[in-house]
Amino acid sequence: MIVDLVIKNLVIKSESQILVDHLSLTLRGGETLTILGETGAGKSLLAHAILGDLPDGLSVSGAVYVGGVNMLSAGTVQRESIWGKTLGMLPQEPRRALSPLMKISRQIAEVGRYVRAKPKTDAEQSASQILASMGLAQDKDKVPSQLSGGMAQRAAFACVWETGCQVLLADEPTKGLDSMLRDEVISQLQSFAKQGSLLTITHNIDVARQLGGTVIVMQQGRVVETAKAEDLLSSPKSTYARALINADAHNWTKLPTSTTAQSPLVTATNVAVKRGNNILFSNFNLTLAKGEIVGLCGPSGCGKTSLADALLGVLSYQGNIDFHHSLKRHQKLKLYQEPPNAFAADVPLKRLLADVVKQHKIAGAPLASLCDTLGLDASLLERTATEVSGGELQRVALLRALLLKPSFLVADEPTSRLDLITSEKITRLLVDQCRAMQCTLLFISHDHIQLSKVCDRVITLEQCAKR
Amino acid sequence: MSGLSRLSIKRWVGLVLLGLLLVLAVGEPLLLNGDPNKQNLSAGLISPNVQYWLGTDQYGRNMLARIAGGLRISFLLALFCVGTAAVSGVLAGVLAAWQRGWIDITLNFIANTILALPGLVLILIFAALIPGSFAMLYLAISLVLWVEFFRVVRALTLPVISGPQLQSSQILGFGPVYLFRRHIWPAIRHDVFSLAAFGAATSIIAMSSVGFVYVGLKPPTPELGLMIVELFPYYHEAPWLLAEPITVLFMLVLGFHLLADKPQ
Repeated sequence: MIVDLVIKNLVIKSESQILVDHLSLTLRGGETLTILGETGAGKSLLAHAILGDLPDGLSVSGAVYVGGVNMLSAGTVQRESIWGKTLGMLPQEPRRALSPLMKISRQIAEVGRYVRAKPKTDAEQSASQILASMGLAQDKDKVPSQLSGGMAQRAAFACVWETGCQVLLADEPTKGLDSMLRDEVISQLQSFAKQGSLLTITHNIDVARQLGGTVIVMQQGRVVETAKAEDLLSSPKSTYARALINADAHNWTKLPTSTTAQSPLVTATNVAVKRGNNILFSNFNLTLAKGEIVGLCGPSGCGKTSLADALLGVLSYQGNIDFHHSLKRHQKLKLYQEPPNAFAADVPLKRLLADVVKQHKIAGAPLASLCDTLGLDASLLERTATEVSGGELQRVALLRALLLKPSFLVADEPTSRLDLITSEKITRLLVDQCRAMQCTLLFISHDHIQLSKVCDRVITLEQCAKR
Repeated sequence: MSGLSRLSIKRWVGLVLLGLLLVLAVGEPLLLNGDPNKQNLSAGLISPNVQYWLGTDQYGRNMLARIAGGLRISFLLALFCVGTAAVSGVLAGVLAAWQRGWIDITLNFIANTILALPGLVLILIFAALIPGSFAMLYLAISLVLWVEFFRVVRALTLPVISGPQLQSSQILGFGPVYLFRRHIWPAIRHDVFSLAAFGAATSIIAMSSVGFVYVGLKPPTPELGLMIVELFPYYHEAPWLLAEPITVLFMLVLGFHLLADKPQ
């Protein structure tokens, strides 16, 4: 059976603004479609509209047909008959979508039993088959907490696979995954695309490139451009799509690197960090020169953050870390992966910055000029950390660090939670400011390409493989 | 607390209830000048009238003055006990979560030891050591109360201490006072306030309970629990007399429990 997904003139409005503006698209049976756009482009709302479970309080017009049924006007029973059997959804964070208490083989068997109404023994048999085909035969009696991230991802995918749905909706399937896991998800999606229609919603250009098919670029609820993946990604026509694709790390122009030899700032010899009884890494050696910009790369969970914390002196370690100049506590600073983590909640940013100025008696703090340099609106500082966007907050974090004129700055994946365009801007600002201040920067990321474009050199932390 | 307007209805009711009782406790001696201990044996067990708003007891003592006196003692005890328990419990909880190691182990050991004994029994033992001593009651009740503050504050502080927000302020060079004010206090203040309100109710109940079994404060002190047991024999002739301290005690406890309502 071939099922088409057709969206006609979909408009979603909240009280104050239009969230999705006259969107029409068609996904024929067996095709692959990728919707590409930044946060706030209305992508997730679109996914909810397709499922027919939009939150209350939004006004909707237009139609979403899944195999001839209008999901916007269909009743609950009719929608539920579509869910699972015809239309499947791959959850964003698989571990959270699995039941934490049930063996994965049972979770998959339940799909067969209750969604596809198979007899119990058949369902159990096909659950073991599907687990075996995903390389999880050994792990079928484990609960999600005993699985690694990749295994949990595969188990969640097995659940979707077992539904036998014809249309698969994947909403940001790679969010928060490192590159190894991301490749795995993509190959799963590709294997699904061979037998059904695939609609993927993502902000990641790599995902769009690898999945192929048709790509739709969305900006603020509107479709900006629609084309074949290879055409759109190599020669985008609209300005926005071009900006988006240029902001992908693959397409960054390499920043000039400094080659002049500088005196060393910090030397780490034979450093080891333990977490519980787990040795994250050992025998680690590193010398950072003054004013040098060094990238630190490695898959998630291998101890990049722990290494940075050890260098900053906020985590205990074995071995030696020697600073060649004596630095004050506040000259070794850190930018966080999630900017809200770096600010006390419920306090205006302005007051937090004033706290810093007062604590360190910074005379004539160049707040206004720094705001200018970083492209920050000064009125933004009246708000609290939860009231500004991630990109803005990361700029405020950078501003706060610059106020203290640091000699050593660790940026712990400072842009991995941000949009591509914002991410590129912040990365450039960060590197430029550190160059200007002769500040040593340790730039942590799991994206080797991004690092290679902006850093003097990139080191890789890889010992984690044998965890 | 940012403004009274954000208080829930429950808290408003509690606040008004406690406010009225406080007005009675403080206003009575100032405006009406009643003496809770002045006897007038020829005017015993009078029903409420214009002169004696709440009537008189078996010794002809002015019940309004006695109730007001009982309220004053209850409020004062609650204030002292909760103040001491909250300050020491918060300090100990933050210290234990921050330092971990042997300080944490020692404080937990002490807290668990006290928890292992029923609170009221502990208070009874203390009260029996020096009968009729306000100081002893205060000490005993505070000793029982601080444990809850300690345990809750420690549990709430642990994730804050290991969290990135506090670490970021630490890296920026801020000292422990700032870290407490900006990071720890905002995380615990609502619960500390709720615990304080519950603690006030608990200490008032505890004092009247030991008064009720004659181990607490001694006659003629106008203490609510003591008054209840003293008026017990007269419940048939003058039921309203017995009802008065019970009602006031009930309103006090209700008021504090309503006040403890946590904001959403």
